Amino acid sequence: MKARKFLKTLPMKFYLLLLGLILFSFFSNDFGLVDIQKTAVILAAGIDKTEEGFSLTAQIAVPKGSDRSQGGTSSVDIESEGATVSDCVSNIFSETGWVPKLVFINLIVIGEEAAKEDVISYLNYFMRNEYMNDSCYLAVCEGKAHDLLTSKSATDDTSALAIQKLFSNAAEKTGKVMPNNLKDFSIGYYGVSKSGYLPYLRSQSQKGAEHSPSPGTGESGGGSSSSSSGSSSGASGDKDEKVYIAEETALFSEGKLVAILPREQTLAFSMLSGNIVSGTFNAKEKDGKAVTLAVIENKGGVSLDMSGAPRVKMQIDLTVRLCCRGTTAPIEDISEDDVSEELLESAKEVLSQYVADLWETGKKSGCDLFHLRRDLYRASLKKYKEWKDFLPEVAEPEIKTEVKSLK
Amino acid sequence: MNKISARQLYFFLACVAPIGKLVIMPSRLAVYSGNDLLLPVLFHYLIQAAVIFAVLLLAKRGMSLFEMLENSLGKIAASCIVLLLSAFLLFAAFLPLIEQKVFVQGTFYDTIPSLVAFAPFFPLAAYLCSKPLSSYGRTWDLLGPIALVGLVGILLLSFTETDLGALLPVGSSGAKGILSGTGYTFCWFFDSLFLLFLLGKIDYQKGMAWKGALFYFLGGLAAILFIAVFYGIFQETAINQLFAFAKTSVFFSGITVLGRVDFIFIYALAFVLIFYCTLPLQAGVEGILQVFGRKRYLPTILAVAVTGLLVVLMIVFDYRFGQVMHFVSEKVFWIFPVFTVAVPLLCLFLRRKPVESA
Repeated sequence: MKARKFLKTLPMKFYLLLLGLILFSFFSNDFGLVDIQKTAVILAAGIDKTEEGFSLTAQIAVPKGSDRSQGGTSSVDIESEGATVSDCVSNIFSETGWVPKLVFINLIVIGEEAAKEDVISYLNYFMRNEYMNDSCYLAVCEGKAHDLLTSKSATDDTSALAIQKLFSNAAEKTGKVMPNNLKDFSIGYYGVSKSGYLPYLRSQSQKGAEHSPSPGTGESGGGSSSSSSGSSSGASGDKDEKVYIAEETALFSEGKLVAILPREQTLAFSMLSGNIVSGTFNAKEKDGKAVTLAVIENKGGVSLDMSGAPRVKMQIDLTVRLCCRGTTAPIEDISEDDVSEELLESAKEVLSQYVADLWETGKKSGCDLFHLRRDLYRASLKKYKEWKDFLPEVAEPEIKTEVKSLK
Repeated sequence: MNKISARQLYFFLACVAPIGKLVIMPSRLAVYSGNDLLLPVLFHYLIQAAVIFAVLLLAKRGMSLFEMLENSLGKIAASCIVLLLSAFLLFAAFLPLIEQKVFVQGTFYDTIPSLVAFAPFFPLAAYLCSKPLSSYGRTWDLLGPIALVGLVGILLLSFTETDLGALLPVGSSGAKGILSGTGYTFCWFFDSLFLLFLLGKIDYQKGMAWKGALFYFLGGLAAILFIAVFYGIFQETAINQLFAFAKTSVFFSGITVLGRVDFIFIYALAFVLIFYCTLPLQAGVEGILQVFGRKRYLPTILAVAVTGLLVVLMIVFDYRFGQVMHFVSEKVFWIFPVFTVAVPLLCLFLRRKPVESA
């Protein structure tokens, strides 16, 4: 009787067992195990142009040792050259014995010289890689990407992680930086606008900063010894400690770097995108003294009006409060957030000038920063065909700035 | 014998059936039709909903497909037609299977795993194939809500990143783009043929025909919404995004803090996909069994033979997914409307009542 009952339920047991096996094999991802001794977990990549082809600097995470009191991530930087980016990645394997793993890469930095050529010739490797995350940040840097990534950060053991902090949501909301990722940059490139932007990174020596040496850092991994160009970050040494600045924005047209927006224009660009929540900017008092205003609310937009001659309407609406005066102030003034009419007028003038400069920079560079060609393409295919070769150059800007005080 | 209830059928039509179209089809549509990719899907769903309406009208007759054909055309002709349809289903099953394999490898693994990781699928498929097709009813009761939760979850996480303006201007790919998009994606639409093999096993209720078509179309609208979101996120680069439903939610801002929580929903849809992919196999085996009868060991032998053949094909075509897809979707695409549209509609002309035996 028992045997019959067992046999009757056997198919169902078999079914459940198979289902369990499937779930196990499909969804376990080999339990996410990574043999750190054989795998190069690449955190960031820097691309530079060389005479023969490309140079790729890979920042690779390495075990930090057994001392659990040490925080952060340790890394080594391996530089490799090749005719293509793929060549460089393969060379990392042949030079170090580590299998490069791109799943964790979250930052690609392009050297300034390399950015002057069509960057998709470097980035297409990452776009083709199905394990690569499309939300990976992209940036251009002053000088060589190798120098930036191998520099010693004053704020983190690993330069890539220090740089990524600049691109956080919170940083973006201040309006000081315009981060971009692989997906959005490639959409801009392959779209009808053929334009895009990336944050422009500079490093700056942090004089006087002391960085105590970390016992677990820089000593493991063997990257620096396996390649002549390898170096380890996080180690104490004679290098200057650096902080990184991404307040400027590099403009691209057809994948090539064509202009760099200074910080004021980056702020205007950010305001036009309606990104800012807690950013600040300076207006001037009648006597010329600077006053800092904090943005409480930001609405912005750029639209193309094709009813007559092409006109570009750029509008910024801000609600601000007084954040700081550059002079002494009575306590009654400090207790008030209201901004005087004169200051609001000054803020309007300042921002209007920033926007006008931004427009001129974009126009001169040939970068369709506001995707006007794309907007026209979506609105009217006929007008797009008629005007696509003349936009944005022939469009007349119409700048409207509204700044009001928080009541 | 278990019969498929109205609820189970509607779960399949509205929730399970759309999932198979959300893996690779959206990126292929973007290749052919660009930003007009919604129009081919809409055409397909309108056509399939009409065919499903017709097939469910046939369900009223209470006969299996083989019985209906035998009744009108005789046993030999009926056997030939059913075997031909079964062969077609087994052929049509290959693309979704290999699609599912590359999806699992590309989405759930950081490096390409061996074929062994996919191997447990085959004994499961063999087991399901040895069971009557009507046993799927209970499975759909379970899969329907899972698919619904998975799809809604992914849509919610994806909406913030989407720019639906990317779908404009309508018609920019021209008639050629829209027609090639429609033609080359026929291989993903064969749901009506499953229902043909379910005839005689459906517990027909009044109004089931139009309700079934409506539920199928509603599921189609959900698929269209997802594809719109997908294109809104990736725009011109959509053609490079092979595994659509595993890609759109990556950009949800909370993921940077919480980690890949979207994988809960991706797992849910991948789970549904396992069963959806075995469906054409099971229907194909069911057809053969309708001809030869469900004799003692025949279902098991057939199930093992069919899945064994698939294992061989999968090994042979392991790294040739692109070629298989190109062949099935672009070279022999015309076979699909013949079997999934013309044949079910022609069945409407079969004799309504069984011939009285002398």
